[in-house]
Amino acid sequence: MGKKIWLFIVVLLTTFLLAACGGGNSEESSSGDASETTADGATKIVAWAWDPNFNIAALNLASENYNGDTEIELEVIENAQDDIVQKLNTGLSSGTMKGMPNLVLIEDQRAQSFLQSYPDAFYPIGDYFNPEDFADYKLAPTSLEGEQYGLPFDTGATGFFYRTDYLEEAGYTHDDLVDLTWAEFVEIAKDVKEQTGHAMLALDPNDLGILRIMMQTTGTWYTTEDGTINLADNEPLKRALEHYKELMDNDLVKLVSDWSQYLAAFNSGDVASVPAGNWIAPSIEAEESQSGLWAVAPIPRLDMEGAVNASNHGGSSWYVLNIDGKEAAAEFLGNTFGSNVDFYQSLLTDVGAIGTYIPASEGDAYQFENEFFGGQKVIYDISQWMEEIPQVDYGMNTYGIEDIISAELQQYLNGKSLEDMLADAQAQAEAQFK
Amino acid sequence: MKKLINIIKANNLFFKIFIVMLISVVMISISITFSTIRMSSDLFMERYSITNTKVISQITEQFDEFSFSVVSTYVKVDENGVIKGLLQGDKDTAIQKSQYFYQMKRHMERIYSEVDPNEANMIIMSPDHDVFNMNYVSWPVEPNELANHPVTEKMRRNPDEIIYQFDASSLTNRVPMVIASKALVDRASDEIYGYLYISIRENDLKDFYEGYTGEGNNIFLLNSSGKIISSDRQNMIGVDSPELMEHVENLDKSSDEYHNIEVFGRNQVLMAEYLPGLDMYLVNLVDREFLRKNVIDPKEIITISIIIVLAAVFIIFLILRKMTVSISNLVSQISDMARYKFSKPLEETGGYESKKIAEAFNYMLNEMHDYMEILLSTQEKQRKAELEAVQHQINPHFIYNTLASIKFMVKQEQKENAFHTIDAFISLLQSALGDIDETVSVEQEVKNLKNYVLINQARYGDRIKVNYLIFPDCLSYRLPKLVLQPFIENAFFHAFTEKKTGYIQILIAEKDQQLVCEIIDNGDGMIQDKYAAKNKRQLFSGIGVKNVHERIQLLYGKKYGVVITSAPDKGTKVKVTLPIIQN
Repeated sequence: MGKKIWLFIVVLLTTFLLAACGGGNSEESSSGDASETTADGATKIVAWAWDPNFNIAALNLASENYNGDTEIELEVIENAQDDIVQKLNTGLSSGTMKGMPNLVLIEDQRAQSFLQSYPDAFYPIGDYFNPEDFADYKLAPTSLEGEQYGLPFDTGATGFFYRTDYLEEAGYTHDDLVDLTWAEFVEIAKDVKEQTGHAMLALDPNDLGILRIMMQTTGTWYTTEDGTINLADNEPLKRALEHYKELMDNDLVKLVSDWSQYLAAFNSGDVASVPAGNWIAPSIEAEESQSGLWAVAPIPRLDMEGAVNASNHGGSSWYVLNIDGKEAAAEFLGNTFGSNVDFYQSLLTDVGAIGTYIPASEGDAYQFENEFFGGQKVIYDISQWMEEIPQVDYGMNTYGIEDIISAELQQYLNGKSLEDMLADAQAQAEAQFK
Repeated sequence: MKKLINIIKANNLFFKIFIVMLISVVMISISITFSTIRMSSDLFMERYSITNTKVISQITEQFDEFSFSVVSTYVKVDENGVIKGLLQGDKDTAIQKSQYFYQMKRHMERIYSEVDPNEANMIIMSPDHDVFNMNYVSWPVEPNELANHPVTEKMRRNPDEIIYQFDASSLTNRVPMVIASKALVDRASDEIYGYLYISIRENDLKDFYEGYTGEGNNIFLLNSSGKIISSDRQNMIGVDSPELMEHVENLDKSSDEYHNIEVFGRNQVLMAEYLPGLDMYLVNLVDREFLRKNVIDPKEIITISIIIVLAAVFIIFLILRKMTVSISNLVSQISDMARYKFSKPLEETGGYESKKIAEAFNYMLNEMHDYMEILLSTQEKQRKAELEAVQHQINPHFIYNTLASIKFMVKQEQKENAFHTIDAFISLLQSALGDIDETVSVEQEVKNLKNYVLINQARYGDRIKVNYLIFPDCLSYRLPKLVLQPFIENAFFHAFTEKKTGYIQILIAEKDQQLVCEIIDNGDGMIQDKYAAKNKRQLFSGIGVKNVHERIQLLYGKKYGVVITSAPDKGTKVKVTLPIIQN
């Protein structure tokens, strides 16, 4: 009996000790990079984009339309495009991928430089949608060595957006503005300045998009298809620079120093036109007080053989980074931008974004008469121009070369001869990129 | 109720010890539990405060770095001749403006790339309201609004100071941010040629400290007027809190590491550090209650204590019960001892102690019993010896008187009478002296009685008649020698002093498994208690009436003995009860 009691006590005490020791179970915490699983079991996806009126709005719309198997919670982070480029470069070159998003929007003209510089950083998403469903000209910049990395988003098809009231005051009707050359554009700008006192367009001296728009009407670029730098003997570029200088010399330009000022220039009614990619339309429409005062004409062409009144400006595609959560991100893209025709319709009507998804290229939304643009079928018109855009291989170094040109451009504006300027730029670019 | 009291009384010892133990265990547990909780929470607070002070100094370093980077950015902008030239130069034509915009951006980009942290934005505004914004997403600034905003106004008034201001107005699109600003002044002319703004969103400022915070551990950035300009508690941002400011200033004046204060309705530990570069206070508040609840978990300690108390009480209960129950048992057994005439030994059960006690008690009891037995048997032997001595002794007067009577008979030539008397006398003597057995048969006893009566009648005449009524089946039973003779003698010599004639009846029968002998006379009778005192002198043998009772009881036990009933003038009845003893 006595032994039993002692045994019982020992057992009891042991139990207490064990219970006391076992009490301090700490909760395990897990940490991941961009992708995490939220409390309600959804996979969190982080996306970087830059335009709240346009591509960010499109992402949010996609998130609403997503109906895939994996629960997804999308977080969109707005950054300036330059910031995105810089952050991607920093993050990808360090190799850690720390702080990188799952999903990022990259302009087509920059895409190859990322794909070629960081071959393993991006996740091939060709299996999540059918690339053949997309416009041909979007596939070359978004793929590398036969693998599809980007899911084409918007077309960069350009338009010549203008203030009907200002141009009317200067004596021009819509018909006068269709199928212009850039030389005619400069002349019209002079009249507008004279008649209304308004600058024709806003320009940021650090962004030479206007030069690229002009150049592509002829199907030429800073580089040839085999990657040779083509500046010194680039006739379309010369013409474009001459037009640029003429606009400057005649004070036909409102200079701005950043994107928000660029938007403010037309939202405030300072400038008479915006020759840019169609994605600028939502930003124009953001200023509701100007409803009915805008129209869009085909982009002017360079006065050269083979030039067309269609060009490309911007235009970007979605990319999935090769980090945790890539499958969910790819599934998200495939389910929305990759296959959902209805989604593209609401993308057009709600956001005004013109996609490059062929099955969605016909539908009621294309016939939409936009009251802001005086009842013009803006989307239909742009989709027509889109088909004429001359094919160009942007190569890897578009923006690197442009940095050199923008520095040289200032000297050209100061009186340096065009030949010298381009020769110097060619020499610098060759030194830097060969 | 009564039952309960009885139970308590019966287990008095148990309850006393148990209650004392219970109270002590509970008291000890409670005091240890509470002192443990208090000590550990105090200790934890102490450690926590020390760690947090270190954390604060780390965060302070980050803020210092930021303010240093603001200063160095300013110095770089200030020293940059190109920027100064561009801001002061002509920009009438688009080409000049293009140059101006392009160059400004290039030079600013070079400086901006060194601004730390990168989430900070850098803006330069010219006096003509040209704005150069390095990160328009972070702060999409409207030039005219900025130029007329108090932020800029203040800078115009204090062109030599770097001013840190908090803003969440429409200027910043309601995004809370801290803006460091400094006017760019031409040393030669004392004219302002530009305005430098370095802004950081409150959200990005949070990164400086967010990793160190948690629920119940909050950080506040307090400007010199007591406004909370950054905090991990989102809803506190932009709130004026003179209350907190007062506490912070008190702490700053004292040399203490931390203060325990009551603020925002909670009991908090306050730590603070002044950021001289920003003219702000970095304040850390730790919620004592919250920490105590979440870090120390008194529930667990209390639960463990309760379990230990319950277990201890349970074990004490078992052990105590085992010990006290056996002792109580012993006590009740011992108090019952008398009832069993000390013959029943104690049960040797229970714990070691009670077993030993019971053993010792039983040993003692046994010894006592043995001793008592020896004593009793010795006494009995003595008694027997005494009795034997008297029963073998015939009173010499009886012999003398009888012989004298016979002599007279012979002299009077009553030959026949003398012969019978001598014959009876001989056989009486033979029986009294010769027979060494203690008991005799009823037949023999009756013969002896008859002889005795014969002698007496020979001597004193036959005025007293004796009748015998003996059941024949009793003749073979045995009875102690001379057990009836003393009563006959008594009747002869004392019962008929007033009445001169009468009779004595002798009755022997078996009744209720007992041998009953009755000697009944119809003599004088007597008052009962005088009876014993009267008979001191025995005429025939040493055995008196009184002895007979004792002797019977000694031989056969309490059941048996002599009962005398008597009434004056009616006679006396002596009833002798004996066991039936077969030959």
